[in-house]
Amino acid sequence: MVRPLAALVLAALAVAGTPATVPRAGSIRGQVVVPHTPVAAARPSVADLWTTRPDPVDRRRSVVYLDSAPRQAFEELRPGRAKMDQRGQQFIPRVLAITVGTTVDFPNSDSTFHNAFSLAPAGPFDLGRYRPGRTRSIRFDRPGIVPVSCDIHSHMSAYILVFNHPFFAVTDEDGRYSIPGVPSGPYTLAVWSEIGRPATRKVTVVDGDTVEVNFQVGRSGS
Amino acid sequence: MPSGMTGTRHARFAPSPAALAVWALVAVVAPAAAQTRDEPYGFARGRVTFGGEIAGSVAPRDDEAFFNYTDYERDTLRMARLRLFGQWRIAQPVSLVGELRTENADQLDLSALYLRWRPLASREFDIQIGRIPPVVGAFARRAYGRDNLVIGLPLAYQYLTSLRPDALPGSVDDLLRMRGRGWRPAFPIGSQSVAPGVPLVSATRWDTGIEARWKTGWIETAAALTRGAPAVPVVRETNGGRQWSARAAVHLPLGMTIGVSGARGQWIEDDVLALVPEDRREHSTQSVLGTDVEYGVGHWLVRAELLRSVFQIPILAMPSETPLTAWSGFVEARYRWHPRWQVAGRAEKIDFGALLGTAGVPTPWDAPVTRLEGVVGFRATRAIELRAGWQHNWRDAGRIHERGSPAVQVLYWF
Repeated sequence: MVRPLAALVLAALAVAGTPATVPRAGSIRGQVVVPHTPVAAARPSVADLWTTRPDPVDRRRSVVYLDSAPRQAFEELRPGRAKMDQRGQQFIPRVLAITVGTTVDFPNSDSTFHNAFSLAPAGPFDLGRYRPGRTRSIRFDRPGIVPVSCDIHSHMSAYILVFNHPFFAVTDEDGRYSIPGVPSGPYTLAVWSEIGRPATRKVTVVDGDTVEVNFQVGRSGS
Repeated sequence: MPSGMTGTRHARFAPSPAALAVWALVAVVAPAAAQTRDEPYGFARGRVTFGGEIAGSVAPRDDEAFFNYTDYERDTLRMARLRLFGQWRIAQPVSLVGELRTENADQLDLSALYLRWRPLASREFDIQIGRIPPVVGAFARRAYGRDNLVIGLPLAYQYLTSLRPDALPGSVDDLLRMRGRGWRPAFPIGSQSVAPGVPLVSATRWDTGIEARWKTGWIETAAALTRGAPAVPVVRETNGGRQWSARAAVHLPLGMTIGVSGARGQWIEDDVLALVPEDRREHSTQSVLGTDVEYGVGHWLVRAELLRSVFQIPILAMPSETPLTAWSGFVEARYRWHPRWQVAGRAEKIDFGALLGTAGVPTPWDAPVTRLEGVVGFRATRAIELRAGWQHNWRDAGRIHERGSPAVQVLYWF
């Protein structure tokens, strides 16, 4: 479900535990179970050639993150570059999580033109049409969720989650995630999935320990 | 429905287009409040999928010039249109593809229904059998709303000429009297009912037959054998003729596609041909040659098409057969200067070959029309677009020689 993650925006303000010194760290890991993985198959068209379902299907679809983060997390942001490929008329990865200030490259690895764009308040952009083999880039300077689409291929879509702290992880093919280096303290852990409402859990990270938190995401959220 | 059209074979209940537009708007906003689905709607584990488009257009009534009427006798600038596309994957190489369409909610048309067979899994080669997409030109295969840069349809695909497949002029003067009256031409031979003329190529109805399409690398080709003619697609046989059509296109690496196409088919119905001498009946074909170009790079999308049509018609009072030539072309462009905002425009013309009537002055057999249209578009969401624009038409004959009209449109696809 696409919705502005107010928590992402508010994370910069609602700073939890504001320790005066750098605390020791633990980690959070677990699994996110989603009942259904949407497949971005092309809508039926009466005028085109037969289009087949994309193969393979990228099943990395959820992001787990700290809803609030230690103050020093905002000072340690090291934005860099990330890549969202366009291949087989899919965005790969379909879900990308980055920190504020990161520049995302959109290479066109297909044999047809693409036109990535987004109308999201957190980062509206339109890269225009560009040919195979070319790359266009955009820098994301505001936290939030940025749904990405292709203006030429309506079935192509993806999500970029922009955080203003580094404590987040995209789940793997099996839904597993791991957030290392989390300073000790109590937090609200949140999960975002494109098909369900964001869910949260209260967690307390203890120095040197790993906290296991699992989520079950349904269409209505849980 | 314009005044003067009631009681015809096409008369149907027609709710107010404005009311329908409001209905369309409500229908748009409600589902669009939720996220646009990335996957198409479907069931049977994805074997049956469907999507669709709703388009509502509003403009002042045009009961005098009829510049934007289609072969369904509807004004494309005052229309609520719902299109539902479906595909049933029967087996791995075979699917059934169809489109249900309603305009102004007065009847449901099965505007496309065909079997699509991909005999070689590794090749983009499809065979389509049934009511299939047109081959000639480029515009008719595009989705009506989302891929149409402005609100109106191109003259070549929409403007009604004075020719009818079920009625024939007895002389050149009969034909010249109908110049600029394509919305309701009448002729002495054949049907005496009130009916519209035909466009050069129909974009709103599709023909029935078999088509092969093949794409490899930068080349795309298609060829079809169907029942009707470019101007008169049919489901039921109206004459014994067949239409051959073909198109070849090359997709250049720089973002340009260039296509050439042609078609030839019998366009006059057997019922009216039976009323002319047997040696004239073979003069009943329509030939179309066309070329189309598309160039899309960056925030620009530019398209152009040129179609030349030749109607053969057995006019009894003419000593030799004089084909009725016509050509129409357009150039259109869209520029998107913001992720939400775009501006688009189309310039076009339809012109006709000259005939000599009893007045002895060469006169185009129908009235040439020039049209300019400009539109500003706003993407409210990924799947909702609002458009507002102005269309201006100039015509050399008919009741009204010039008419401008504002128009607005709401589009929603799912």
